[in-house]
Amino acid sequence: MGKQILIVDDSESIREVVTFTLENAGHDVTKAIDGKDALSQLNGQEYDLIITDLHMPIMDGIELIREVRATEQYKFIPILFLTTESQAAKKQEAREAGATGWIVKPFVPEKLLAAINKVVR
Amino acid sequence: MEQFKQKFIEEAIDLINDLENALLFIESNPDDKDLLNKIFRIMHSLKGGSDMFGFHKMDKLTHYLETIYDYIRNDKVKLSESILSFSLNTIDHLRKLLDIDNYDDQLEKNHQNIISQVLDIIKEIESEDIAINIDDNELAGNSANIRNKEQLFTYYISFIPEEDIMINGTNPLFLIDEMHTLGKCIAFPRSHKISEIDKFDATKCFTYWDIFLATGEGINTIIDIFIFVDDHCKLEVHKISEHNLLEEEAFTGIIRENIKTNKSINLNDLQELARDLEKIFDTTKKETEIKADKSTDTIISSIRVSSDKIDSLMNLVSELVTTQARLNLLADESMNPKLVTVAEEIQKLSRQLRDTAFSISLLPIESMLTRFKRLVRDLSNEMSKDIVFEAEGTETELDKTIIQSLTDPLLHILRNSIDHGIENKETRLKNKKPEKGLIKLKAFYSGANVHISIIDDGKGIDPEKIKQKAIQNGLINSESNLTDQEILNLVFLPGFSTAESVSSVSGRGVGMDVVKRKISDLRGDVEIESEVGKGTTITIKLPLTLSIIDGLLTEIDKVFYIIPLTVVDKIYAAQHNDLVDTYNNLITLDGEQVPFYYMREEFSIEENNVEVEQIVVVNFENNRIGIAVDKVVGQYQAVLKPLGKHYKNQEFISGASILGDGTVALVMDTNKMIKKLSVD
Repeated sequence: MGKQILIVDDSESIREVVTFTLENAGHDVTKAIDGKDALSQLNGQEYDLIITDLHMPIMDGIELIREVRATEQYKFIPILFLTTESQAAKKQEAREAGATGWIVKPFVPEKLLAAINKVVR
Repeated sequence: MEQFKQKFIEEAIDLINDLENALLFIESNPDDKDLLNKIFRIMHSLKGGSDMFGFHKMDKLTHYLETIYDYIRNDKVKLSESILSFSLNTIDHLRKLLDIDNYDDQLEKNHQNIISQVLDIIKEIESEDIAINIDDNELAGNSANIRNKEQLFTYYISFIPEEDIMINGTNPLFLIDEMHTLGKCIAFPRSHKISEIDKFDATKCFTYWDIFLATGEGINTIIDIFIFVDDHCKLEVHKISEHNLLEEEAFTGIIRENIKTNKSINLNDLQELARDLEKIFDTTKKETEIKADKSTDTIISSIRVSSDKIDSLMNLVSELVTTQARLNLLADESMNPKLVTVAEEIQKLSRQLRDTAFSISLLPIESMLTRFKRLVRDLSNEMSKDIVFEAEGTETELDKTIIQSLTDPLLHILRNSIDHGIENKETRLKNKKPEKGLIKLKAFYSGANVHISIIDDGKGIDPEKIKQKAIQNGLINSESNLTDQEILNLVFLPGFSTAESVSSVSGRGVGMDVVKRKISDLRGDVEIESEVGKGTTITIKLPLTLSIIDGLLTEIDKVFYIIPLTVVDKIYAAQHNDLVDTYNNLITLDGEQVPFYYMREEFSIEENNVEVEQIVVVNFENNRIGIAVDKVVGQYQAVLKPLGKHYKNQEFISGASILGDGTVALVMDTNKMIKKLSVD
């Protein structure tokens, strides 16, 4: 069943590739270019999942996760962040901020969908 | 998306090249398991990527190919010549599939054709092996089928989430669900910790689970399911049996009893129970080798960088070298020893930086080799000649831009060798030569140059034939008195082609003159040697890099000129009068008559009034030619800058370089210059 998914990344190519994969899998995807944009996209709308990059201008992923978790409505929404193998410290920080899980870059569609499958059904 | 596609296409081209290389290699090493695995892996990557970026035709095709190689890998079928040839053909097709904008009916037809061929091959393999009888749709599950035949293990998993596991958006039930995808799974929720409804906090998780799982997967796969929550839960995974105990009523019964009475699971008891039950199993069962879970930590030994970035790095380094020269000059002028030390230090660093940056843009000749191997294989098949291709010194590295422009000329030379050089089998046997023809590519460093020779043991080039042809084409007249070498060099002239009949392989109007021109553009040179009946050797000499050259800084009428050090033979002092008062522009140096050009005269500059000038002797087509300049300043490392387009139509200067003090020095292209001067 299709889910409402918000993808947050400042890199257009990553956004596009994630969107492409998710839409192919039958999900509805909304795109945001940074944390601030993401918050304005959320704005009380119903979402099933947020996928966010960590390194972004204006508002980064960590702050976005904190902001989202602090909002009553999105307290339990699954949040996945995009990370590279080498960012162990960043990963920990994001988890402490309240992220549900992560997706290691670079990824193939199967990997992305498998990670999503862990947190939304 | 387009930008992403482009990335994938680049990657896919590399993968396809690797695949081609591996396939050509496996032809002679059919039992190499690592190579087979590599082939399989490449196909898999291609499949994954093409699916992700919308190359669905490619996805489907690579999927089928992968199926075939999976069978081969698992010894279901032998890698036959026909499969190999089919695979190589398919590779060509895959390349075309990447060009998604140029799909046409012909391609579609070829595609259908190839798909039906690949399905035929798969069907053939499967009919030999009745046990696996699957249709197209089930092919995807193929690897899973094989795994199911393997042994199943029984695991006990204790999953105790922290109370606030759901705060982070985790739904523990999904994790339990995922466990079910691994095999037969029995999960017992333990809910006795849940408090009464009035004290109940719905945002917290009080349930924990005892799970039993029978699967062929390793323990890491199970742990991986919980990867997102590993610090928000207590997780224990134990393998309790090498067999599937979940089908045993005795086992499940005891467990159920345990759960009902709310007793906690004791691992020791469980293991003892498992051991007892295991005795029931047939001990003669063949031990299946358990594949060790390979560590997923792969060390990144290389990364992919766009060539634009390398180009801009090279540009920066070039600028740095130029600025460095200025700093040195200033430091010397300042007479400040501390500044000089620093300047020297920076010089050392920038030199290292330059060398490193250069080495980044160097590629081994090996990177072109696959195409050559393929050409020799395909062409010799087509012309029914039996030819062995050998390569030597393929680790020799060249600038990537040179490599790129070099492939076509080399392919052309190879084509010539196969078409005109190597004789057919009968002729070879008649001439007491080995039955198989030999074409050898030999690469090696020679000073700041790289030499690449294509050597064949074919019939060689008959100078008499060349001469007749040249006369016929009006390139020379019949009275011309030329040495054999000079005659051979005629093949480099435009409009020369010795092929008696135009075949599909060579003689398409582009000849050795194009090769010569392309190599000259790279500031390289081509030489030809040939002996009738023995074979032909064509040698390409190239500079290592195009952007920085070691040069000799000279001065003519207060203007600086740089002569590339690679062509410089020797420097002499010459009396002014010897240079000016001469009838035939010859000067005796080291007891040898050397033709020379007095540059002041050639550049229409007035004579100067010095007694001694200098003459730089350079190599020009196996001759020594002198270039008389006012004076030689010294050796200089020149960062080449292109001249503007207004200077395109002259033959003397190939570029310019900025000296430390900001003065411009012009880089002489001695080859072109001498040629032009000798004609005038």
